[in-house]
Amino acid sequence: MNALAHAAAVTGVPHSSYIGLSVLLFAIGLFGVARRRNPLLLLLSVELLLNAANVALIGFSRYWNNSDGQIFALVVMVVAAAEVVIGLGLVVAVFRQRRALDVDEMTELRG
Amino acid sequence: MIGTLGWIVLGLPLLGALVLMAFGAKEPPKRVTQLVGCGSIGLAFLATVVAFFSMLSEHAEERTHVSRLWEWIDIGQGLKVDLAIRIDQLSIMMMLVITGVGFLIHLYSTEYMAHEDGYRRFFAEMNFFVFSMLLLVEAANFVFLIVGWALVGLASYLLIGFYYDRPVAVAAAKKAFVINVLGDIGMVIACFLLVRELGTLDYDQVFALAPQFIPAGGGVALSIALLLFVGAMAKSAQAPLHTWLPDAMEGPTPVSALIHAATMVTAGVYLVVRTHVLFELSPLAMNIVAGVGAFTLLMAATIAIAQVDIKRVLAWSTVSQIGYMIMATGLGAYASGMFHFLTHAFFKALLFLTAGIIIHALHGEQSLDKMGALRKPLRFAYFAFATGCLAIAGVPGFSGFFSKDEIISMAAAQGTYGWVLFGVSTLGAFLTAFYMFRLLLRVFHGTEPEGGYHGEFHMSGAAMTVPVAILTVLSIIGGWIQVPFGWKKVTDWLEPVVGGIPQKVNADGTLTAVGHVAAEPSHNLEVITISASLAVALLGILLAWYIFANGPERRLRISARHPHLRSFLEDAWRFDEVYDETVVLAGRASGDGLRDHVEPKVVIGAGRGVQELFSDMARFMHQIQSGLVRTYAVALMAGLAAVAVIFILVSR
Amino acid sequence: MGEQIAFGLTAAGIVGCALLVVLLKNAFQAAVALIGTLVSVAILFVLQHAPFVAFVQIIVYAGAIVTLFLFVLAYLGERALSDPDRLEHFEVFSWITILVITAMGAIVMFTTALPNFHTVPETTEDIGSPTALGFAFLREHLLPFEATSLVLLVGAVGAVVLAKRAVMAEGGR
Repeated sequence: MNALAHAAAVTGVPHSSYIGLSVLLFAIGLFGVARRRNPLLLLLSVELLLNAANVALIGFSRYWNNSDGQIFALVVMVVAAAEVVIGLGLVVAVFRQRRALDVDEMTELRG
Repeated sequence: MIGTLGWIVLGLPLLGALVLMAFGAKEPPKRVTQLVGCGSIGLAFLATVVAFFSMLSEHAEERTHVSRLWEWIDIGQGLKVDLAIRIDQLSIMMMLVITGVGFLIHLYSTEYMAHEDGYRRFFAEMNFFVFSMLLLVEAANFVFLIVGWALVGLASYLLIGFYYDRPVAVAAAKKAFVINVLGDIGMVIACFLLVRELGTLDYDQVFALAPQFIPAGGGVALSIALLLFVGAMAKSAQAPLHTWLPDAMEGPTPVSALIHAATMVTAGVYLVVRTHVLFELSPLAMNIVAGVGAFTLLMAATIAIAQVDIKRVLAWSTVSQIGYMIMATGLGAYASGMFHFLTHAFFKALLFLTAGIIIHALHGEQSLDKMGALRKPLRFAYFAFATGCLAIAGVPGFSGFFSKDEIISMAAAQGTYGWVLFGVSTLGAFLTAFYMFRLLLRVFHGTEPEGGYHGEFHMSGAAMTVPVAILTVLSIIGGWIQVPFGWKKVTDWLEPVVGGIPQKVNADGTLTAVGHVAAEPSHNLEVITISASLAVALLGILLAWYIFANGPERRLRISARHPHLRSFLEDAWRFDEVYDETVVLAGRASGDGLRDHVEPKVVIGAGRGVQELFSDMARFMHQIQSGLVRTYAVALMAGLAAVAVIFILVSR
Repeated sequence: MGEQIAFGLTAAGIVGCALLVVLLKNAFQAAVALIGTLVSVAILFVLQHAPFVAFVQIIVYAGAIVTLFLFVLAYLGERALSDPDRLEHFEVFSWITILVITAMGAIVMFTTALPNFHTVPETTEDIGSPTALGFAFLREHLLPFEATSLVLLVGAVGAVVLAKRAVMAEGGR
């Protein structure tokens, strides 16, 4: 490790930290998806997953020194917005029929 | 022009067949059936005649016309098959016989079949047969040849089994079909070999390339020739694949005349002549072909002596006569073989149609034991039949004399092996004369059968007698186109197709001949052979006269003296029994064994196993499909984890 | 030093708020915690030379998506869950999976062959300004751009259809 790089390591934050943060956020989101029974909180957890992906994308955008990662982050946001609209619409529609907010109650697709 | 005519000739019978088939179960008026059935063949014959005459006006070397519609199959690697026909001297000769004799037999059938059910079906299938046979001879490549080959087999199957309510006829049809398929397999394998060696199936290319790329006398050349000949043997009823033809007589008599005497069974001769380049590459194959032909002609002639069914005698006689043709082609005397094909088509069709008149008159009776002394009541049939007998026996002046004696002389000119074949075929000529006159004398001479005839004779009308009369004339004059010491029209005509020796281009540009040309018999030799065969023919006629002319006493006395020989001949050398013992019994035993031991364990067991596997899987899936979304999410994540693990392990 | 302090604070905010999102029983509080995560992520984006994405993050996520969540939560209200959790015995699988994926991320990060992965990046180009993103979108990534608009259109139509059906199910028009 040369002197300049060493100095940078003191004053800045290395890439790996951003990516590690992304992994951590993803794991938390996974936990949420696996454990929450309220469909709204499930969707919130999915947002966490998407944000984790965004963090990684932005991090790599900086690493490679070009805008592609940011472009994809924006696309992911659009997908997230659409997903939330449809997801919430479904939740409301199901709620009107079932009067329940528990994904374990919705088992019509059982084999 | 000639190419277009070729398509028209090919299309008309097909059109006729399709129109007749389109009526379905509804039986159209007989007039319509007759008009469509005969009209299509008649027009095809006219078109063939026009093509023939325009071909006559062309230069001899330019008479080959290949008409290509479009590319049919492109398999890649340069193997292309065109939808194409080839009209040349050889195929036009076959076409003339097929449509000409075919038309006469169709005409004959309009009356002969008038009292049968399935009048429309009969003509539809006959038209279909003519189409298939024309396809066979007009094909410009081996693929179409095989298509036509298989279709005539189908037509033959349908027509042998025309009386499908008779178990015997159905069995005979199946037998014919199975044996013909054996031949088809041989031809298909031969074509595979051609593709492997030459990469093409087009006649022109194959015959041009074969001498260059297939070593003469080598194993490949022998395999190709013999495999093709297996096809020829099956179709042309040569030993040991001949057993279906006598059984095929279960079909209606016009069918026997057209398919199982005049045209289809000579397809093998056509095949050998057409592919003679391939045969000449292997002298051994040529000798085998000649040997098979000689054996068959002798064997069938002996069997014909002992048969009592009038049509079976003619069937065995057909086998024997095709043996002559095959022997001629095996000797390299292709023109002689084709000449005999031509005359045989005339006189054998004549004999069958006349037999049909006799059977018609006797209300379906076919056994010789129930015939005799019909000379007076059936005077017309008598003359026609006698003409046919004289022709086939080789009495000078009649057509069979010219063609058969030419083959016999050609055989004598081919060295030692040739002399053996000469001996066999001369003996065959003697037997031919003998069994044909036995037939003639037992039907028309001698005494009436015990108990006489019941009821009126069913006399034939003009639709039956006119074709017979035309064929009678043709049987007499048909041979005069090729006369020993005189002119050789057939040989000259076919010279551009079958003449010449295949030549191999050497590296330095010189040519080496491969194969050989049949030696022409010398003048003196021809005199000797003609005298010999003439003598044996007369001897055969005289012997037949001595035994059969005056009632059954003498014949019964002689046959009582040789009961074993008689039953051996009557059972056709027991080929069927041998096949039963070897092939049929073994096949049945293996079938039984498979049914009792393999099927319950392997087939049904495997089925059960698969079924249980799937129901187990379904049961498991049912449990997994809980409908609980979160389990799905966890499963998705687990899959993601697994993929990640695999990625990391692989990328290490 | 400044970036390190900022990163430490935002990272703590992100992880802390995310944990609140998945752990809080009250859905309304969880949604509010999500706002904290999203805003922290936006700050992270600024640190990463992505100011435009950071603004979009605030506007779209915090402004629109979470608002939508809160609206729906307010509309539906809190519901008691049917106890007990039927998937209790599945919990171990989710833990295993989460640990495996986290471990994989860690392994990849510490053994990666990417050069300079563990050093501080040197940003030389303009990669995050609206200008740069506009050029990138309209020059190199036009197809994703158009596909994105299509996704939004589908989302809008889907929402309208669902809402309409829901209204009709309740007897309205």
